[in-house]
Amino acid sequence: MKKSSPTSSFALRFLAWFCPPSLYESIEGDLLEQFQEDAQAFGEKQAYQKLFWNAIKFLRPGIILRNKFSLNLFDQFMFLNYFKVASRVMIRNKAFTLINVFGLTLGLTGAILLFLWIGREFTYDQFHADKDRIYKAWNRATDNGNISCWDVTPRVLAPTLQEGFSSIESAVSYASWGDQLLFTVGENRLLKSSGAYTDSSFLHIFSFPLLKGDAHTALREPASIVLTEHFAKELFGDKDPFGETLNIGASGNTFPLKITGILKDLPTNTEFKFEYLIPFHFVDQLQGGMERNWGNNSVASYIKLKAGSNLESVNQQIKDIARKNRGQSKNIDIFLYPLTEMRLYSKFENGIPSGGRIEIIRMLAILGTCLVVIACINFINLSTARAQRRAKEVAVRKVSGAFRFSLVAQFLCESILTAAAAGIVSVGVAYLVLPLFSNLVQQPLKLDIASPIVWGVGLVFTIIIGALAGVYPALYISSFQPVKILKGMKLSASTRSITRNFLVVIQFGFAVMLVISAIVIQRQINFVQNRDTGYSKDHLLYQYMTGDLSKNYLAYKNELLQSGIAESVTKTSAPITERWSNTSSIGWNGKDPQTNILFERFYMDEHISSTAKFTLVEGRDMDLTRFPSDSTAVIINETSAKAMGFQQPIGELITDNGQEWHVVGVVKDFVLTSPFQKVEPLLLFGCKSDWAFNVIHIRLNANDNAQQSIAKLSELAKKYNPGYPFEYHFVDVEYENKFANLKTTQLITNIFSAIAIIIAGLGLLGLSTYMIEVREKEIGIRKVMGGSVANITQLLTTTSLKPIFIAIVLFSPFGWMSMKWWLNSYAYRIDLTFLTIAYAAAAILFISVSIISVQVIRAAKANPVDTLRNE
Amino acid sequence: MTKHIDMGKEYLGEFEELVLTMVGILQEEAYGNAIVNEIKERVGRSCNLSAVHVTLYRLEDKGLIKSSMGGATNARGGRRKRIFTITNSGLAMLRAMKEQQMQLWKLIPQLKIVGS
Repeated sequence: MKKSSPTSSFALRFLAWFCPPSLYESIEGDLLEQFQEDAQAFGEKQAYQKLFWNAIKFLRPGIILRNKFSLNLFDQFMFLNYFKVASRVMIRNKAFTLINVFGLTLGLTGAILLFLWIGREFTYDQFHADKDRIYKAWNRATDNGNISCWDVTPRVLAPTLQEGFSSIESAVSYASWGDQLLFTVGENRLLKSSGAYTDSSFLHIFSFPLLKGDAHTALREPASIVLTEHFAKELFGDKDPFGETLNIGASGNTFPLKITGILKDLPTNTEFKFEYLIPFHFVDQLQGGMERNWGNNSVASYIKLKAGSNLESVNQQIKDIARKNRGQSKNIDIFLYPLTEMRLYSKFENGIPSGGRIEIIRMLAILGTCLVVIACINFINLSTARAQRRAKEVAVRKVSGAFRFSLVAQFLCESILTAAAAGIVSVGVAYLVLPLFSNLVQQPLKLDIASPIVWGVGLVFTIIIGALAGVYPALYISSFQPVKILKGMKLSASTRSITRNFLVVIQFGFAVMLVISAIVIQRQINFVQNRDTGYSKDHLLYQYMTGDLSKNYLAYKNELLQSGIAESVTKTSAPITERWSNTSSIGWNGKDPQTNILFERFYMDEHISSTAKFTLVEGRDMDLTRFPSDSTAVIINETSAKAMGFQQPIGELITDNGQEWHVVGVVKDFVLTSPFQKVEPLLLFGCKSDWAFNVIHIRLNANDNAQQSIAKLSELAKKYNPGYPFEYHFVDVEYENKFANLKTTQLITNIFSAIAIIIAGLGLLGLSTYMIEVREKEIGIRKVMGGSVANITQLLTTTSLKPIFIAIVLFSPFGWMSMKWWLNSYAYRIDLTFLTIAYAAAAILFISVSIISVQVIRAAKANPVDTLRNE
Repeated sequence: MTKHIDMGKEYLGEFEELVLTMVGILQEEAYGNAIVNEIKERVGRSCNLSAVHVTLYRLEDKGLIKSSMGGATNARGGRRKRIFTITNSGLAMLRAMKEQQMQLWKLIPQLKIVGS
């Protein structure tokens, strides 16, 4: 029977903890004396209770404050000793330390990079002084029960809001249409499309500081312009540009604009991207007055509320403003959405905010955390697996009077030291690879390696990670009972193997999921890249119709064709890789008034089919020489023909905004916008709308050398468009750009899958090395009894592979489902087959087997004499 | 008015005075538990050990008593006692307080016992 003694009661131990040591002995003595008296007077049970309360009552300032805090709470000598022992252990087991430090370094470096990225995402547009009062206007349209939201609004919305509502301080239209302007300053000419049009209070609403000029007046005059410092330098060199005049050329005309402000270059963590700002009045004047059409959504509208206004009530007030002004039954509400949410939370589903970029950010955070976790698992597994080696040490320490607490502290010191080593290295590595990574994710990330905050945060995290990784091994190892250990009992290698296997399952499960995503992304990219675009991208280029090109187009075209540089030339409204305009108000014979199909508009003059090498399914290409009436002809794609329900499309009439077009041909579907999505219904209108043309597509002669063709082309361009620099775009290059985002995703997934596999592989290496060490004698005996190398290899390998099999079985469904979810955002996508999982499983198994078998075969080959002679 | 007694800067609370007196009474046997028991026996008042300890330390801070480690007994699980002895200034303090009380006592009109 276990006999409790008053000296070991909780209350006394507690008392010992807070009581100054100099007073403790006499107090404890008094308490014990009292206890004896009470025990005689009331019995032992009551005496214990009294002892408890008597001891607890010492918890009073009169006692506690007599502690000398500075020295006694912290046993520095023991701590120094812990660190000494820890560093000795680490140095003695170099391979073990290396695996741990290297694994943790990889994991931590990955996590640092990811969390730097994540942290930066949250700083977007948070620097505006009044950010909490700035909103962007959105439309919410209900159409046949579907609610859709978008943030492009009519030009007239902002002025209307500013005039009509007292709680709105100011409102501006903002448009960055990407139209090319030619900037001329003296001899210096630059083509730029990186500017925006906006209203005068823009510089008030947002905190983009002006280096020169007055924020109130800078954008007030129509003929003024505000430049960023960088762009001003590009234009003017070292001359002071403020107050100077520059000329811009747009659609064939030249306008002088006065520079009324120089902006500090924009910070990179903003959704705004412009190098110059031109007042909207300028555009309004060009168009002969402000665009007042409420049906034309063409600009973004930013609104700043007065301080103290309530968003809800403002939203109520402005809700029906578009409906009222449009005078149409269209069910469109206007509402305001906070600027600070635009970066991460700007996805709407059925009219309700439903995440957005934040979903990616969450995935990244999970990824970063998982990397650290699987690195920590290595530490836990290797430490517990190797516990046998430390058992004697623990036993001797305990016998010499070590408390369990101090043993735990000692082992925690080891893990924190490991984490610290990894932490320091990984901050360094992260610092070095950051430029590469920034480039990869297209975010200028910074790690201020000299800042004490970085190191402070790093230190805290290192200690937390070290403690997390170390706490389980420390508790486990320190729990050994010295008597058993010193009597010579061996810990069985499998004591903790369930925990260990569980952790290995998690590690490899994570690796399996990453490998599955890497494979799926790779296959999806290949699949889409091999998609038949419906036209020939090779030898096809386009130029913007700048300056005199629109005037000289015909002559230019003729010379191109006659000189043999080009096979076919077509002018169009936009590059064939880009959407230009769309509409849902196309009319045709037999249209059901309920249908609401969005058609893409594309304008061209003639020969589009031979320029782009479309496949004509029916009818003919446009040819203005043979059929002058083709200026009002239209070629439709197959999807359009299907959408309009034409049996015989040729000769049908299509109306757009009052203009009638007759169908002369049907082309096979081709990819205009995104190769990942379905082909949209598309109408290729003739040249009747002559204002629409911006681009010349040229099909080069396939037999010529492209280099020489470009050289000849540049001469011709100089001849017909002397005022502008020569520029051109190859369609295949532009098309490839559509994959840039996905390729970044792919690269990131590949990198982090590799890191995860390396960390897990390292752990496996450590574990299998250790397992073989433990089973050395077993292997020897098996060999003596006649086991073959192959037999033994097979036996040992299968044992180690079991958790990996389980990981594959348990986690590949998760990988499968998440990739299914990912693929769902693409209309043109691969089918997920079980082959994908099989590939991933094979890859993981191959790596695991190669790690394990190298060790196992070496062990199985060893001469049993060497391993057995000691006994 | 009558003579004013200088109490010094320190002032003793009622419980402090009681404990100080007990230290004076118990002489070599003045340690925490003994004082608790003595108070109970002589004044009939039960007080908590921790309160006595804290008071003793406070009195020691004021220089009215001093302490030294004494012998251990079995009943104490081998822990030594902290024995307190009253110092001269402690005695002076007690004396002064007693005199002050006596003087004040004398000022009260003596009551006659009626009806006996």
